[in-house]
Amino acid sequence: MSRRIVAAVLLAGLLFVGFHSIGPVPPIGPFLDPANGLWGTAAATNFPVLQDVAVAGIRSPVRVLVDDRGVPHIFAASEDDAFRALGYVEARDRLFQLEAQTRAASGRLTEWAGKSLLATDQESRSLALVWAADKKFASYDRSSPGFKAIVAYADGVNAYIDHMRPRDLPIEYRLLNARPMKWQPIYSLYFLSRMSLTLGFNDATVRRLKAQSMVGKAAADALFPVNSPIQQPIQPGASSAPRYDFAALPDPGVPDSTSTVAAALEQSLEHAIAFRKPTESADAIGSNNWAVSPRRTAAGHALLAGDPHLELSLPSVWYEMHIVVPGRLDVAGVGFPGVPGVVIGFNRDVAWTFTNTGSDVNDYYAETVDDDAHPSRYKLDGEWKPLEKRAEKYLDPHGDVLATDTILLTERGPMRRQLGKWLSMRWTLYDNSHEPDNFLSLGYAKNATEWLDKMKDYVVPTQNGLVADRMGNIAIRSSGKYPVRPGDGRGDVIRDGSTSASDWKGQLPVEKYPFAMNPAQGFLASANQQPVDPRVNSSYMGSDWYSPWRAMRINALLRGDSAITPDKMRQFQTDPGSARADLFVPWFLSAAASRDSVSHDVTLREAAALLAKWDRRYVRESRQAILFEAAMAELASRTWDELRPTGARATAADRLNYPEAQLLAELMSTPRSSWWDDRATPARETRDEILAASLRSAFDSLRVAKGAVTADGWLWSSTRRANIHHLLRIPAFSALDIPVQGGPSTLGPSSGSGTQGPSWRMVVELGAEVRAWATYPGGQSGAPASVRYTDRLAKWTNGMLDQVLFPRTPDALDRKRVISTLTLTPQ
Amino acid sequence: MNMRPVVKFILLAEGFAVATYALGWWVVPLIAALWGLLSRDEARARVAAFAAMTGWASLLLLDVSRGPVGVMASQLASIMKLPAVGLYFLTLVFPALLAWCAATLTPTIRGGRAN
Repeated sequence: MSRRIVAAVLLAGLLFVGFHSIGPVPPIGPFLDPANGLWGTAAATNFPVLQDVAVAGIRSPVRVLVDDRGVPHIFAASEDDAFRALGYVEARDRLFQLEAQTRAASGRLTEWAGKSLLATDQESRSLALVWAADKKFASYDRSSPGFKAIVAYADGVNAYIDHMRPRDLPIEYRLLNARPMKWQPIYSLYFLSRMSLTLGFNDATVRRLKAQSMVGKAAADALFPVNSPIQQPIQPGASSAPRYDFAALPDPGVPDSTSTVAAALEQSLEHAIAFRKPTESADAIGSNNWAVSPRRTAAGHALLAGDPHLELSLPSVWYEMHIVVPGRLDVAGVGFPGVPGVVIGFNRDVAWTFTNTGSDVNDYYAETVDDDAHPSRYKLDGEWKPLEKRAEKYLDPHGDVLATDTILLTERGPMRRQLGKWLSMRWTLYDNSHEPDNFLSLGYAKNATEWLDKMKDYVVPTQNGLVADRMGNIAIRSSGKYPVRPGDGRGDVIRDGSTSASDWKGQLPVEKYPFAMNPAQGFLASANQQPVDPRVNSSYMGSDWYSPWRAMRINALLRGDSAITPDKMRQFQTDPGSARADLFVPWFLSAAASRDSVSHDVTLREAAALLAKWDRRYVRESRQAILFEAAMAELASRTWDELRPTGARATAADRLNYPEAQLLAELMSTPRSSWWDDRATPARETRDEILAASLRSAFDSLRVAKGAVTADGWLWSSTRRANIHHLLRIPAFSALDIPVQGGPSTLGPSSGSGTQGPSWRMVVELGAEVRAWATYPGGQSGAPASVRYTDRLAKWTNGMLDQVLFPRTPDALDRKRVISTLTLTPQ
Repeated sequence: MNMRPVVKFILLAEGFAVATYALGWWVVPLIAALWGLLSRDEARARVAAFAAMTGWASLLLLDVSRGPVGVMASQLASIMKLPAVGLYFLTLVFPALLAWCAATLTPTIRGGRAN
């Protein structure tokens, strides 16, 4: 009898845990099931060698050959079939990522994770990313290629979901006890909205106003200037050498209490900013691209290189593909999973890539409302206008309502209450635009001029588009919508929302965009620096630009070599040299020598001796790079102490509010500026005293933390490591602690957290036959157990690239390199 | 030598494997219950447990031959803070327990004695 009771109780318990999740543990029945559960999922990561699938909507058979790099080569009779097939194979490789990105963009992560992600979702929704995507979708021309592509792509994703066997369910869904949702065409626009948040949301206004609240307007304007004090623009000037427009900075002034609103604004944007740019200084992030005219290359063909830097993730933000529609389209490269088409890549005639322009395309307006507590109208030009209200509901994993919210919108965009004021935001993202059409059209360009023409009406996020063609042309243009503001034209201020006189007056004409084609210097380069010299074009495009260290470095490398090869282009991508170190190291050494003659400080002498041995290259075995970086951090902290509350100790977060390092360089020209004074001491310090004290302090701290200079802790490789997290930040599915070459401000900048980096590296030679080499960190598969999940990581880490296969026909692809053939047939 | 019990065991194990493949994990207690009803063997519950374990082991071996099961086991073991072998163990013990319980209980319906 007792055995039966035990069996009954045990069976009930087993059935309960078999069917139900308990806390974070998914139901273990379907989880452990070796046929349809997680073990089956492991088995399903290997595709069948040959597979035929009937798919609704396919008009002619589509052949998809997957090569040994995991890249699908899609051969279709029409674009419609090709994008349907792309949806199918991207879903097969990246289904979980597709949904995760969509949920992040649309603020629906709570439906997976519950309350823990409510704040993140609320932030996404308050930025009205979905509202913007909804508007674009509603206005989208149904007959446009872009619209047709996102519809066909959605059909392809859904066809895969419909064909999935239980064992095909990605492991993440099993861990979350979730099922894939059906894909809607609008989700492609959600993703692009989110990418605009990552790349096209400028917080210069907040940083500048925060500084204004502490040191006054004149000083804040100087610390966060509209124009870079070091000019090495994308649009080359008469000289390819950088120009130093250094001037004395105004002394710290009286705090401006009228700008305290910035503090609250910053607080409210904290999540959005963290979401977009996770706690990294500008020197640690950034993208590069450059192209070389045939006359400066060894083979006499134009060369192009690109390495967009983004937050690194597993699976990668990119998916590599090759799409062939005979006689019409033959394009290869990478696109964003969830958005049909190649964003960065090449066809038989043209290659292209992008860096982020980082222009200021979002503004804030202080609105006048009818009821401060519960506004329903706002005043514009003396008239009350109704606020658009968008009811938001946040659901938990069981479908129950977790929270509700109302997003208020003026004509300009979403409006939020900050420190007793109602601020609305205007952003080019909220304007109607059709980026899928722009990106798709690039694959059809026959030459650089045609390519530029296809980018003419591109809106957001603004991008430095670089193109090279087989005829030897190279060109660059900072494309996107640049608003024209009233008055002084600046966008880094909060404007009066009660009058339409504050509104944008239009947009910059394309003719005024930063642009260059076949320049005399024989090369073009961009690295997120100010795109055009203000002496050449004074149009306001933004402020607080990244320091041009990377631009200076690549310009120097390209200037110094007139026989460039594809392999040299590859080597440049991980070049460990630094224009920033070249500038600052001599200042440190000079200051140390000057102080040493007065104080005979042995520690300072040791520190200077160590730094002097440095070749200013951030290689893994360097023992000086760590000292230089610590000294730079100390220098910024001591110099910009006025930007912290009096007496407050410097924190890592403070660094994000400091001016760019190029401002420190500018300050060097005034050795007795009051900015050098350390408010914590009674004495009034000079430049050299602060430089020497920073170096000494850095050396001391490192010796305490790392031991003797000969200890392994001093090696750069022990400090800078890439950390590529899985989308759910599960360590077992992540690639962590990867030692990489490069440091802040090198061409391959590495960040302190290691989460930012080159998300794609590509080199293309535009010869008689186009040849390309590329890689990205990770692999084509989104399945963590798959061999193709991280198969590209080793080469990426060592700066190596794979040759990209670019066959014209299925038969032209080497059979030995085909791992799987999928044929999609009409149903 | 009487091969009949061996054949029965193999058929039962295959039954567990095929039914799991076709329908899912939840058929394990159903098949075991049916076995418990039909079998007069004193050791029917233990036989059901071993057969279920064997059936799932054969499916697991099939998975191992097809894909990176070991990689997934080590990844999940790391998440669950278990040794990888613990996951395999769970995978085999779970059907065995289900089958044993179901085969132990069903003779009650017939009025038999549990073993």
